[in-house]
Amino acid sequence: MKKVLIVDDSITVARQLERIIAGAGDFQVVGHAKNGAEGIKLNQTEDPDIICMDMNMPVMDGLAALRSISVLDPKVKVVMVTSLGGVGDRFTEAMKLGARNVISKPFEEDTVLQILRAL
Amino acid sequence: MAVKFFGQFLVEKGLITREKLLKALELQQATNLKFGEMAHAMGLLSSVDIDRIHRLQHTEDLRFGDAAQKLGLLTSEQVQQVVTRQSNSYLYIGHALVEVGALNPDQLERHLADFQKDQAVYRVDRIEIPSNVPHAGLWEVCADLTCKMLTRVAQLPHRAEQCRPITRLAPNKLIVAMDLGGAVKGRYFLSASAGIQETLARAILKVDDVSGEPEEVLDDTLAEFANIVCGNVAAKGGQLGFHVEIAPPEILHPGSPIEVPEGQAGLLFPYHIVENERLEMALFVQK
Repeated sequence: MKKVLIVDDSITVARQLERIIAGAGDFQVVGHAKNGAEGIKLNQTEDPDIICMDMNMPVMDGLAALRSISVLDPKVKVVMVTSLGGVGDRFTEAMKLGARNVISKPFEEDTVLQILRAL
Repeated sequence: MAVKFFGQFLVEKGLITREKLLKALELQQATNLKFGEMAHAMGLLSSVDIDRIHRLQHTEDLRFGDAAQKLGLLTSEQVQQVVTRQSNSYLYIGHALVEVGALNPDQLERHLADFQKDQAVYRVDRIEIPSNVPHAGLWEVCADLTCKMLTRVAQLPHRAEQCRPITRLAPNKLIVAMDLGGAVKGRYFLSASAGIQETLARAILKVDDVSGEPEEVLDDTLAEFANIVCGNVAAKGGQLGFHVEIAPPEILHPGSPIEVPEGQAGLLFPYHIVENERLEMALFVQK
């Protein structure tokens, strides 16, 4: 079972993702961080296989956290979850920094699972 | 379902790899010259001219071609020649993907049709913004996407009323505010009464009853809804040529009206849902 860490300042999004991911049966949600800095810490302690991370967060945003995580732990697969995905340069930057894919908000359950299973 | 660009749509659907997309983006970047680069390549501007134009752009809100004309470095005919050359030689991402071998022309045609179908729902219908408000096109997008997301995300049937100017935003049970920056300056507000907040929370959390939910969770659902709308506004704005940045949502419980600051225009977009409940979107934008 693959371990997933959710990094999002929104309780709502975290709950939506947890319901979809944990309910699928082949993933286990191992934690929820509320910003990029917490995400980096939880990545070290929980050692997830996948991180689902928001781009627009207070304290440390998703791209800054992605930059650090890509260096500290290149094996973890990061998927950005964002309503900003359609902005080409942010999307490109995330991909260049090592994000494996981007889930656009609002998201559908099928899309989330399809993207995570393809990793 | 969200506003997105073609390359993202293809990666999301697993139709191309991110590596191929990055290659195509690199090719696109190398092929599509910026206005100054094109004018330089056409022998119309020197590097020194380009530096002068950039310096002027730091102090005045002018597009490159307008700044070049203001400095007397290009005529309006020359600006048009550069724009035409840029337009004629522009490499679209779809064609770049064919060039790098990620798609063949038949696949491109098919996927592009699917993409256009997917995005057709985000076309902006006519919304009347007062004529003295700058960047009206972007604020129309804000109003339009708020309506569309109310239907699609919150499954909330509503009727949008005419936009009207305001000098203050009336208090409500909950107001979420988000700053919009970049090429425009504005603040987006979503204001909801208690019943509307609960309806939105039920729809977004996909539960039948939210009476046991902490207030923090109910507030967060409206904040997340505003975040989705504004993120999609930034995405759509990018497609329309506006670079828009958004800050994280702020949750407000104002006990008194929020005044429109001096130098800004206030616009109110009320939504009729049910009697005795109030949902409004408002924009405070720099004049």
